[in-house]
Amino acid sequence: MARPHIEPFVDRDVSFKKMTLPGFPKGMQYKMLSLDTDDGACTMTVLYEPGYKQPPGMSYAEYELFIQSGSITVGSKTWGPGSYFMVPAGVTLEAMSSPRGATALLFFNYGEPSFVESDTDHAKAERHRFAAVNSYDNMQWTSTNFYPATAPGCLVKVLKFDQRTQGFTFLYCMTPNFWQDNISYHDCCEEAYHIWGTSWMMQFGDLPTGGYFYRPPYINHGAFASKLGILAIGRTDTQLYNHFHFNPWTNVEENRERAASRMQHWKPDLYKWVNTQGHNHPVDFEFDHGHAHGDMPHHHGDGTVEHKHTKKRRRK
Amino acid sequence: MKLIPHRRSRETEVWLRKETLEQTKRYKKIVREQDALAPKRDRWIADFLERIQTRGVHVHFDQMRKVRPEEIPSKPKRKFRVVF
Repeated sequence: MARPHIEPFVDRDVSFKKMTLPGFPKGMQYKMLSLDTDDGACTMTVLYEPGYKQPPGMSYAEYELFIQSGSITVGSKTWGPGSYFMVPAGVTLEAMSSPRGATALLFFNYGEPSFVESDTDHAKAERHRFAAVNSYDNMQWTSTNFYPATAPGCLVKVLKFDQRTQGFTFLYCMTPNFWQDNISYHDCCEEAYHIWGTSWMMQFGDLPTGGYFYRPPYINHGAFASKLGILAIGRTDTQLYNHFHFNPWTNVEENRERAASRMQHWKPDLYKWVNTQGHNHPVDFEFDHGHAHGDMPHHHGDGTVEHKHTKKRRRK
Repeated sequence: MKLIPHRRSRETEVWLRKETLEQTKRYKKIVREQDALAPKRDRWIADFLERIQTRGVHVHFDQMRKVRPEEIPSKPKRKFRVVF
């Protein structure tokens, strides 16, 4: 099992706990929002106590940090609310401190939280993927640009976009009196945290400030409404497509089957190819061929789509 | 490279087990709370099914269409879940 369906969860209802994992400095507290029980990837609200100091260091897992309140200083630059960092695995972040304290969201991707003191990048680090921006001051709201799109009044700022998976991290807002009368589900996992404001969903009721969800694929959500508007941060693990409908009672299996049927009609040639090739490990010529290393999931026509070979070793 | 291979410490394994247990409790609490919301949810759904016949259902952005009465789905007999 990866992450379960956590929806809704309000972090204001629980207390911060001291971070006790090896390597992390004293003065950091957290609330766990969701955890991948297989690989340890997780999303946490964190509190940096006033006077917090962290030496230069790296994580074995990629992580994203979003400052909600207060400020942190990284190197010689101070970052306030709305600041977002995307730190690839093994990339060293300069010494960090928070003289007056801060609250943030911390997303560890693909692995459990780790911190290793270091003033140089790991040999496997991809420094060019590092990003830091103040999303409140230096980015502007845009329409969602999806088809089919959410209703007018839902705007986004894209913070991170993964070209390979099309998964992305984004700020989104709903303007006051936003409403969208349909039911949606996606092929991807989706998670979100309300930085400010309350929205309503027909399945789950109100999600207030501090409200969070982690939603696996094909789960119905909507209709939607927000009286005063909201500001939130959201993430997906792969491409987000809005499968809209108006049947409140469909379940995950029915939604998945509908999505597959839609794929069959939208991309019939590709659908046929995927289903009929015996030894199927598609190669994207723009990216590394994972199967060359024996680790790319594929199938041999037997339906075991997560099948992998162990890494082949060259004979001496 | 999204994750650099490394060995987890014993403390980390213990921490993960503890957090996993707490998450299981959290999940069960959510399911209980959402089950308790069922009567309200039934009313919200009835209102939604009414609105999409009068004001319309969102198809794309500001495009809406009115749903005909014969298109309105009926509630299946199986247990209705919103948390999976």
